[in-house]
Amino acid sequence: MVESFTVDSEVLRRYDVAGPRYTSYPTAPQFSATFGERELRQAISVTNDDPIPRSLSVYVHVPFCRSACFYCGCNRVISQDSARGEAYLVRLYHEVELTASLIDRDREVVQLHFGGGTPNFLSPTQLGEAVDTLRRQFRLSRSVDAEMSIELDPRALSPDDVSELAAIGFNRASLGVQDFDPEVQQAVNRVQSIEQTLSIIEACRRHGMRSVGVDLIYGLPRQNEAGFAATLNTVIAARPDRVAVYGYAHLPQLFKAQRPIRAEDLPSPAGKLALLMLAIRKLMASGYRYIGMDHFALPDNELALAQERGTLHRNFMGYTTHADTDLVSFGMSAISHVGATFSQNFRELDRWQGAVDEGRLPVFRGLHMSPDDILRSDLLQHLMCNAEIPVAALERRHEICFDDYFKDALLRLQPMIDDGLVRIKGDRIVASPQGRLLLRNIAMCFDHYLGAGESAPIKFSRAI
Amino acid sequence: MSKPVFPLADARTVADDGDDLRFCSTCAFSQACLAEGMDKGQLGELHLLVEHIGPLHTGDHVFRTGDPFSFIAAVRSGTVKTYVVDGDGRERVLGFHLPGEVIGLDAIDDERYPCCAVALDTVTLCRFSFSRMAELAAQLPGLQRQMFRLMSRDIGAANRLAGDWSADQRMAAFLLGISHRLASRGFSATRFALTMARADIGNHLRLASETVSRVLTRFQDDGLIVVERREVELRDLRRLEALAAPLLGA
Repeated sequence: MVESFTVDSEVLRRYDVAGPRYTSYPTAPQFSATFGERELRQAISVTNDDPIPRSLSVYVHVPFCRSACFYCGCNRVISQDSARGEAYLVRLYHEVELTASLIDRDREVVQLHFGGGTPNFLSPTQLGEAVDTLRRQFRLSRSVDAEMSIELDPRALSPDDVSELAAIGFNRASLGVQDFDPEVQQAVNRVQSIEQTLSIIEACRRHGMRSVGVDLIYGLPRQNEAGFAATLNTVIAARPDRVAVYGYAHLPQLFKAQRPIRAEDLPSPAGKLALLMLAIRKLMASGYRYIGMDHFALPDNELALAQERGTLHRNFMGYTTHADTDLVSFGMSAISHVGATFSQNFRELDRWQGAVDEGRLPVFRGLHMSPDDILRSDLLQHLMCNAEIPVAALERRHEICFDDYFKDALLRLQPMIDDGLVRIKGDRIVASPQGRLLLRNIAMCFDHYLGAGESAPIKFSRAI
Repeated sequence: MSKPVFPLADARTVADDGDDLRFCSTCAFSQACLAEGMDKGQLGELHLLVEHIGPLHTGDHVFRTGDPFSFIAAVRSGTVKTYVVDGDGRERVLGFHLPGEVIGLDAIDDERYPCCAVALDTVTLCRFSFSRMAELAAQLPGLQRQMFRLMSRDIGAANRLAGDWSADQRMAAFLLGISHRLASRGFSATRFALTMARADIGNHLRLASETVSRVLTRFQDDGLIVVERREVELRDLRRLEALAAPLLGA
């Protein structure tokens, strides 16, 4: 894997176009309301019948946050009222029961993730009860590499809470940080001290979490290189196993939460790019490996090791070491991926709750993947995890002639080949070190739904 | 170009609908009739009714236990499962019928179908009037031999499983059986989809569903096969044959 490389900001600037993040292919905008509860039930039944049914990943969405971070583009509900968490859990358990009863019991859960929102809006006691409920309804793997992860907001958490979370079984945590610069924190309405954050990282370690991650964001209002450099130094000194550096996507027409952010406070495209390059330089110089799509990891972290072995995977929760699983997700707005289908729960709390109260699976849209979708999704999976497209393997697996099938895609890719971002090496198409920063752009060339040469509509954030 | 992977419909296997003078390429009887020097036109003169039916969809029945016996049918594409329901309401899977194979032969005795036949995926069939077929067989020794062959194959398949075989042996024999049958119809012998549910495989092989998956996982870990959802690739035929040898030789 690549240890270091030079970054040509001029090239990166040219590829700064809007596009999806490809946590799924097809992406959520392709989901249709014609896919509902009946289709999800059918999909679960089909996967139960497979000769070797896949193991399961389970995602639990906790939509509540105590305060509104202005940059947020997630589906969340702002509330100070802990009772809402209790009411939510009642429905969540009902949804878990409804779904679990459809799934064959010998299918093991190898990955369990709590995301949000803010999962630790719920108390450790409530989270423990949620995990117990899942344990009763599913067969949770006891294997050493079984993954139980949680997204944490260090502002609402004590080191003692972390000890309880570890006792429940959580063995991986990712902490929202974004930037320690006080000016930035004020501009995004998320004030969080370095001490709070470091004490939680330290507690995660002390209680045996196998991986601690820190999430940063570049391109925030009032962000500058000096402040972000200080943040990076602080984070690097704490040595988290993983660091994610996301680009802020300012889409106030789409995300109401972002409207308080003043456009004039945002860094220029050049300034934003400089922040990204700063992060890449510092992280790489400090021994972090670039995994792909905004993610860095220490060389001894399981993600870096899996990437070396070629066994890295990516799903809605991000990168993972677990091979293809069926993803079953619970809670408002949660997206499942069962067999060759995607399905999403209602994005409004009351509609999700209403459906569950009536004993229905709260699906409001989804899709059946076509053979073309399955082929392209397979291609993108390889690209995102290994920064290359295994042409011969795809031809064999999907019985296609690659050059014919992807004639248009290869034409769209040509400028990236000309710029040295992508190389054709025998029977593989490989991203160059710099091209690995632009996996999203490479992916877009192979996205059937974006169409030839068009840039994506505004519902996607920019690549850089 | 490699051979088509079952159940993919492909010009080399099922797209050939035949015409007034030729048989479909998957027809279970075409070889027998052609060997007698008869073409489809001559069969027509003998008023043998050959009727294409389908497509049937997953869960559609071709016939049910007790239905009066009126026809036998050859599978043209897809998979048909035959099963009976015992006194306790439990289903027992008798077999899976692939393109070119015939269902309904076991109804000859009682004039009623002794089992149910259901489509496991999208299925098309050729339906024959049995009485006409029998008349014809009386005149055509080759056709008669072919019918006897088909009937004895049905019985043989059931008998093979009756022995005291291990789960691994049963599974290896099952996979190889499907491989051979598909290969004889022009499909790939080493890559195919298992169109039936694992519970049906288990039922047929007298194994629990979980055991079906466990054995397949073990085969996969040992490099004998690769399984991806419904698709199976046989990677080491020799070792599979060695495992299945006691059953297949029985």
